Amino acid sequence: MTSTALVNSALRFVGLLLLQVFIFNQVAWGWGGRDYLFVFVYPLFVAMLPLRTPRPLVILLGFLLGLSIDFFSETLGLHAGALTFTAYCRPLVLRILEPRDGYNIKTTPSVAGLGTGRMFRYLGLLLLAHLSAFFLLQAFSLVFAADILLKTVFSLPASLVVMAVLVLIFNPKA
Amino acid sequence: MGRLLRILINSSGLFTFAVLQLLCLYLIVNHNDSQRRIWAETKSVYGSSASEFIADKLAFLDVARENEILRRENAALLARIPGSGYNTSVDTASFQDSMLQQRFTYLASRVVNKSPYGPYNTLVIDRGANLGVERGQGVVADGGLLGIVSEVTPRHARVLSILHLDTRISAGLDNQAFGTLRWDGRDPRRVTLTDVPDYVPVAPNDTIFTTGYSNVFPTGLPIGTVESSEPLPGTGSQDLTVVLLNDPLMAGNGYIVRDLFKDELDQLNTVK
Repeated sequence: MTSTALVNSALRFVGLLLLQVFIFNQVAWGWGGRDYLFVFVYPLFVAMLPLRTPRPLVILLGFLLGLSIDFFSETLGLHAGALTFTAYCRPLVLRILEPRDGYNIKTTPSVAGLGTGRMFRYLGLLLLAHLSAFFLLQAFSLVFAADILLKTVFSLPASLVVMAVLVLIFNPKA
Repeated sequence: MGRLLRILINSSGLFTFAVLQLLCLYLIVNHNDSQRRIWAETKSVYGSSASEFIADKLAFLDVARENEILRRENAALLARIPGSGYNTSVDTASFQDSMLQQRFTYLASRVVNKSPYGPYNTLVIDRGANLGVERGQGVVADGGLLGIVSEVTPRHARVLSILHLDTRISAGLDNQAFGTLRWDGRDPRRVTLTDVPDYVPVAPNDTIFTTGYSNVFPTGLPIGTVESSEPLPGTGSQDLTVVLLNDPLMAGNGYIVRDLFKDELDQLNTVK
């Protein structure tokens, strides 16, 4: 992990934390007195950790970011559990999307590093894992499977759009 | 060891994930109301059947302790059956009469132990010094005599049966002739009345009573009936074979005879 990547990751940690807690946690849309659309941007932090980051470290960082968001959202353990799961899934997603000639081991998953199409598929799959885990933990029972599915279906595009906008605006190299 | 270490390192991601995820679940269940309620509900729905299943499978681990508990319970139950209790209710017969002053009282007792049949029969009754039983008191059974108290403990007393070679009881006939009742150790249904003067007319089926002269038994309790008489040449006495009214070997109850005048009479006996 180069020092630029380190600094960028630290900045993303704080920036995404503040962004999620103060802006996107207020976003909720639904009908019939229930909310089905939420926006999650902080999985971007886990997604954009350098490829060479050791797997336990990725999981630990994901846990810490989730826990920080939980402290502000009064949902202790929810975001942390979901993001820990996402961090665990990251190498699996990367393996699914692996190009024929493999990854450049020194890169960071970014538009520049993976290419636009692969980057958004990568972000989409990670978000799918994250949202499913999060809403499952939130409902805490498979009895609400329909609810979980609806929330995931509505939140996934919204979150993906927001993430894409952020990635395209900042367009980080590391 | 090296292999194990390599496995651990290779799957360090999985381990980190598992530990942190369990920590998250713990936090979720403990700090979020709806999840806590769902968890409690789930636990109550599936927990009981699951723990029942587990307890079923692990029941054999508890057998030793379970056995010990049952053994103690058995002991406690055995201690409660009537046969193992010491009957503390006191049945003493006496009555108040201005014309008659009570001399003998009777204390009901149960026979709790009997020696095997032999020449020296003894038995144990469940009344002792706590209730005033003393050495030398007589014991009567339904319809006849049982024996004489020889040893006393606080709760029990040992009785020399009249079917004991050393037992001597003063007994007599209706006509005031008297002798000593003893057992020859042969027939448990028959005892011998010795030292009866040979001039006393005795007929078969005459009744033998206690005389009361030895302060052991009251006067006039029937003991048995004369079966035959045999004069002993040269001694001026005759032996009477007496058929007992009761069967001392079969006795289950005994009434201990207490002579309230015993101390007074003993004073007279010590005067030379």
